[in-house]
Amino acid sequence: MIIYVVIFSILAVLLVASALFAIIQKDLLYAVIATGVISLILSVMFFILQAPDVALTEAAIGIALTTIVFVITIRNTTRNEDEKEINSK
Amino acid sequence: MELNYLYITVLVILSIAFIIGMLRFIKGPTASDRVVALDTISIIATASLVFMGYIFNRYIYLDVALIYGVLGFIGVIIIARYLEGAL
Repeated sequence: MIIYVVIFSILAVLLVASALFAIIQKDLLYAVIATGVISLILSVMFFILQAPDVALTEAAIGIALTTIVFVITIRNTTRNEDEKEINSK
Repeated sequence: MELNYLYITVLVILSIAFIIGMLRFIKGPTASDRVVALDTISIIATASLVFMGYIFNRYIYLDVALIYGVLGFIGVIIIARYLEGAL
């Protein structure tokens, strides 16, 4: 049973790392890809916690719908975070 | 769900593969590296979900891996079309 605790701890550390990456990153496309990785890791964590229906919903929403909506939003606005402020000055 | 050494070895190897994929995702200089890393991590997660469903001895858990197998490539295709400039 200790192996699940170890795997869960590794996944938690990777989850925090990718969340920090998504926040710090200035290129918004990288942040969207990081959101997909966060959803993936969360799904595996829910699976280890014996909740497969929550993992199913998280997988279906996170990897398909969120990515599509955010990429279409980036297509219609700007890709870099600072570009909007430069144009407004 | 008795764990023998074979199961523990497979779980450790899958964890190492996951960590290596995450290193490429965090280090990768271009967007293509990160998208390919996301796809690789998705496939490794699918394999580990199937294996953990086998260990837990409940075959209803395979549905999560099925959803990942069906829907996992859609995000990669959308980002690839955006990078191509054709979206």
